[in-house]
Amino acid sequence: MSSGTGTVTAARAPGDRLPRLASALGSYVGFVPAVLLLGLCFLVPLGIVVCYSFWDTVDYAVVHHWTLGNYRYFFSVGAYVSTMWATLWVAVLATVIAIGLAFPFAYWLSRYVPRRVRTPLLVLVIVPFWASYLLRVYSWLTILGEKGVVNRFLHWAGLTSHPLGVFLYDRPAVILVLVYLYFPFGALTLYSSIERFDWNQLRAAMDLGASPLQAILRILVPQIRPGIITAVIFVFIPILGEYLTPQIVGGTGGVMIGNLIVNFFQEAEYTRGAAISLLVAGFIVVLLFVFRKSLSTKEAYGA
Amino acid sequence: MAHDVEVLSRGARVARALLNGYALAIYLFLFAPIVLLVLFSFNANRYGTFPITGWTLEWYRAAISDYQVHGAVTTTLKVAAQVTVISAIVGTAAAFPLVRSKLPFREGIRIVLILPIMIPGLLIGVSLLVLFVSTFHWQLSEETAVIGQSVYTTPFVILLVAARLQGFDNALERAAADLGANTFQRLRRVVLPLIFPAILAGALFAFTLSLDEFIITYFLIGANNTLPIYIYTQIKFGITPEVNAVASMLLAGSLTLLAVAFALPQLVRRARRAIMRVTTA
Repeated sequence: MSSGTGTVTAARAPGDRLPRLASALGSYVGFVPAVLLLGLCFLVPLGIVVCYSFWDTVDYAVVHHWTLGNYRYFFSVGAYVSTMWATLWVAVLATVIAIGLAFPFAYWLSRYVPRRVRTPLLVLVIVPFWASYLLRVYSWLTILGEKGVVNRFLHWAGLTSHPLGVFLYDRPAVILVLVYLYFPFGALTLYSSIERFDWNQLRAAMDLGASPLQAILRILVPQIRPGIITAVIFVFIPILGEYLTPQIVGGTGGVMIGNLIVNFFQEAEYTRGAAISLLVAGFIVVLLFVFRKSLSTKEAYGA
Repeated sequence: MAHDVEVLSRGARVARALLNGYALAIYLFLFAPIVLLVLFSFNANRYGTFPITGWTLEWYRAAISDYQVHGAVTTTLKVAAQVTVISAIVGTAAAFPLVRSKLPFREGIRIVLILPIMIPGLLIGVSLLVLFVSTFHWQLSEETAVIGQSVYTTPFVILLVAARLQGFDNALERAAADLGANTFQRLRRVVLPLIFPAILAGALFAFTLSLDEFIITYFLIGANNTLPIYIYTQIKFGITPEVNAVASMLLAGSLTLLAVAFALPQLVRRARRAIMRVTTA
């Protein structure tokens, strides 16, 4: 890439003789709008949130007085701390289930499906992923709700006499919907890495006496480990910041940390809300940093 | 591929049959909720659920004549149009130096540019809320929502255009330079036409993301409603077939746009080839 640019410079046409410094600066001009937008409206606000989380609120006004009070407050309320642990727990469970479901699917797609129908079948998995996020959460209300499909079916089958409320408004419903939402991401990432696997290795292992399960666990899985890590990260991180799913199907039992953040900001408790936001953001940034090697954009957005 | 024609043992055949069934179940799981939602929007039953008591367009008629839906659609389209223009311009401009200039910390810069995709939208929403309301004391409006959504959609355009620029044959530009084209002419006549499909796909992508965006908009739009916000406020009062109809229309709209966005680069290439054939014949 750089050698190509160098040649263009060397072959500069007459009438195009800019001083070297100006041309070097000129090559960065394209960044100006992005710096304005992403700098002023993304990094600066994040910086302000960092400051807010260490500032104090007195009589609903933010005072520039440095304190750890917002963090201390968060960790002093039992309900908040347990919500934090519950969020982590829900994220771990939903990620494990989503990836667990996605692995056999990706295996099936790359091993047993003829090459020419693979792409259409893969696109079919991604289609719901690109359909509106809100609608995908909402659609579960029509299934799990009191008048929902499941209750109708149970009633029709004569198994229940009145609608059950147990399917909605608790943690299992949240986990189910999260698995539904993020399965495509897991399937896509796993597929792109299993697809490159040489199946002859699996056959060789089985010829040498390994059972199919042994062959998969000891030959296939170690080789696609980077893909598995990428899939886990890309499913786990967005779940940490979930608001809509617990809000719509979670009820009081399914509250996650995203709901806490929204509540604080809606009640204009900016400094306390900022502290919780920063806890989540900080955790995510640490995860991204630790796993930065497995997050090449090619893996993630190869679709 | 060898394994496409491979003779499978009995065990492998059983495994394949099991996995075929499993994959079918997965597709059912993925599509059942969406299909049911659309199905119920045509169901005469006014509780928006089973049993199906007859087919009707009543709910679509009701939705289309609802003035709240009108307002929400207008706002959604206005916001999406602005977001599309901003992210197409900003994203395309940023893709050039990202791919072409000698950057120190290229990886770091790339990560910052795509960070808005990695960070949950909730955090983008609340941090801009703090900036606009608590720091600047601005009134929330469509414009503040446009800014927030653009932060989230621009990285997608950057990724798409950068990918296209990466595959760009630099010899073409060198040839244009040898023939006397200056920087602006090279950009205008050689580079932009070649990366145009990626810009267009990115713009359509940004438009679709904007149509469906919920959480950032929820924080930043103030008193206005976009379609997702309208649907959200409605489902707080329970599911109605009318909301199902609005939802189905939004779904159809965004899926159509996405299909176009994905098919676009190929369509443009084909159209160009057809034009070339006609003009050279």
